[in-house]
Amino acid sequence: MSTIFWEISKRNIRIHMLRSSLAMLGIIIGVVAIGAMGILGNSMTQEISSSLSSVGDSVIVTPYSGGGGFGGGGGGSGSSANLMLTDQNYQQIKRAVAPNVAIPILSTSEHMKVGVGSDDIVATIYGIPTNQEKDLLPDLEAGDYNNENSGCLVGSTFAADHHIQVGSRISIGTDGQYGTLRVTGIIKERGMSFDISTDSALVVTKEWYQNTYNTQNVYNEVVVKVTSGDTATVKTIIENQLNRNIKEKTVSVTDSKATLATIYSTFGTVTTFVTAIGGISMVVAGVSIFNILMMSVNERIKEIGIMRSIGTQKKEVMSMFIYESAIIGVIGSLIGGIICILAGYAVSALMLGTTKYLFTVATMTSVVEGVGFGIIVCLLCGVYPAWLAANLNPIDALRHE
Amino acid sequence: MLPVIQFSDVVKIYPLKAGDVTALDHISFEVERGEFISIMGPSGSGKSTLLNLMGCLDTPTTGDIFMSGIGVRDMSDVELTNLRRDRIGFIFQYFNLFPLLNIIENVSFPQMLKSQKSVDPKKAIEVLHSVQLEEGLYTHTPLELSGGQQQRVAIARALINDPDILLCDEPTGNLDSKTGANILELMTELNRKGSTIIVVTHDSNVASYTSRTIRIVDGRIAA
Ligand SMILES: Nc1ncnc2c1ncn2[C@@H]1O[C@H](COP(=O)(O)OP(=O)(O)O)[C@@H](O)[C@H]1O
Ligand SMILES: [Mg+2]
Repeated sequence: MSTIFWEISKRNIRIHMLRSSLAMLGIIIGVVAIGAMGILGNSMTQEISSSLSSVGDSVIVTPYSGGGGFGGGGGGSGSSANLMLTDQNYQQIKRAVAPNVAIPILSTSEHMKVGVGSDDIVATIYGIPTNQEKDLLPDLEAGDYNNENSGCLVGSTFAADHHIQVGSRISIGTDGQYGTLRVTGIIKERGMSFDISTDSALVVTKEWYQNTYNTQNVYNEVVVKVTSGDTATVKTIIENQLNRNIKEKTVSVTDSKATLATIYSTFGTVTTFVTAIGGISMVVAGVSIFNILMMSVNERIKEIGIMRSIGTQKKEVMSMFIYESAIIGVIGSLIGGIICILAGYAVSALMLGTTKYLFTVATMTSVVEGVGFGIIVCLLCGVYPAWLAANLNPIDALRHE
Repeated sequence: MLPVIQFSDVVKIYPLKAGDVTALDHISFEVERGEFISIMGPSGSGKSTLLNLMGCLDTPTTGDIFMSGIGVRDMSDVELTNLRRDRIGFIFQYFNLFPLLNIIENVSFPQMLKSQKSVDPKKAIEVLHSVQLEEGLYTHTPLELSGGQQQRVAIARALINDPDILLCDEPTGNLDSKTGANILELMTELNRKGSTIIVVTHDSNVASYTSRTIRIVDGRIAA
């Protein structure tokens, strides 16, 4: 194609710098919206997957409450206080999943005080058999596992919030009526998990829990650490064993891996949705490109008529306007792409506290998608005005004032 | 030798809702190579329609037009466009140069259309010399030039692809009489050197420069 039309397009953009820049700004915003949303969504997904995957493979068994499958998560057993797994259930699970370890867990929410005259705190207390603490909580930040009845472990967040060290004492109950526990160890941060959430909780021995709350032979949940076989199989085994009566199920079984997959796909959907919202701003940008090209065509009807009358082909007139939208589209989209990376850097740093997920394939793909989408939108929005210009009747166009 | 333009029983009807308008009514004439012709007639008589047909911007309703022996009746838009580019030079009343291009680029424009790439300005400069435009103006933009200078550039642009014919629509209509006379003298000189020129005008003074005048009234050739 003749370079003269390229030259004319460039000059036309230059002499209409203000409106060209505004159209470019629209594209920049569109690309940034799509790219930044993509970066944020992907960074969040990666951040969450890194904190979740450390949980490892586990299957969580809770009493069947009639509800849906999800909701196994630890803690909050207050509402389901009357729904408990029996010791018989536990023994069945234990036999069924061998050689994988099954850990019975008790939990409640309790008032407590750290030190004399301090504020009342409410936190979760987990009761776990002493010999299985290590299986469930493999990493301690400080101290040692609890092997005495009045000892306890505390989560790292709880410890930090209440200035607790190994040896600190916590009095349990509204007025300390359940006695005092001594901190023997601090559990390393575990992040989100499906089994129990220890970061802001206390872990006590099963015996202390049962004696204190007088709950014999019942448990809130059973966690199976899957080291042999896969989680889906273990889940099926448990369901086959305990939910023989389809109409009256005994347990709900949550498979950490399947749940993770659901979470990832949910995040994927959210990312897509949010990116689509960015797409709306791209549509707006497209409309403004369309607008300035229509203006450009309208102002130059006479010029188009002259061009056509002295031998310019339709497709050459068309190319002139396509070039114009392409120049705006490519420059705007590339600037948008650069700003995207900078903004993604800032947003990741502020919201996630890390930028390590920025330069990954997934996040960079979203930037490339934003840039590509911007260019495509510009070209598409240029097609109709260009077509219109090319198909003006040369005689009418010539006569136009 | 074949006539540059041959109109054979040409009718042009504009179909309108209020009724068809017959702009040209059975027109036949020939333009020989090297002629300098004026077309005169009252307003609405069909002069512009005639010029548009000669310029291959439109095709006749019935009848035939031959450009150097080539019939244009069944030509596609692409073919007509190429014909305009290669065989016809247009000169307009309002000069109609491209404001985004400088003088050399304006003149080279049809040349670039023909070669599909950027061209050596040598020929444009040569043609600009032949229309007597001062060299200092070649890199200016059209709006920096006077009307007479712009019309010289327009003539150079029309000549750049060595057309068979120059079609001029009131070429002096927008110029003062002295500048207009200069342009007409330039056209007379180009005609002496061999260019075939047709001028549409309502000014009998313009017609006096030409060797033949075709008068049209109500879409017909009168006398
Ligand atoms: N595009 C058109 N559509 C309909 N009627 C037209 C058109 N162009 C010209 N006419 C009509 O054709 C006749 C001749 O017009 P025109 O060729 O412009 O005459 P002139 O140039 O001599 O003034 C007029 O009656 C005019 O109204
Ligand atoms: Mg007219």
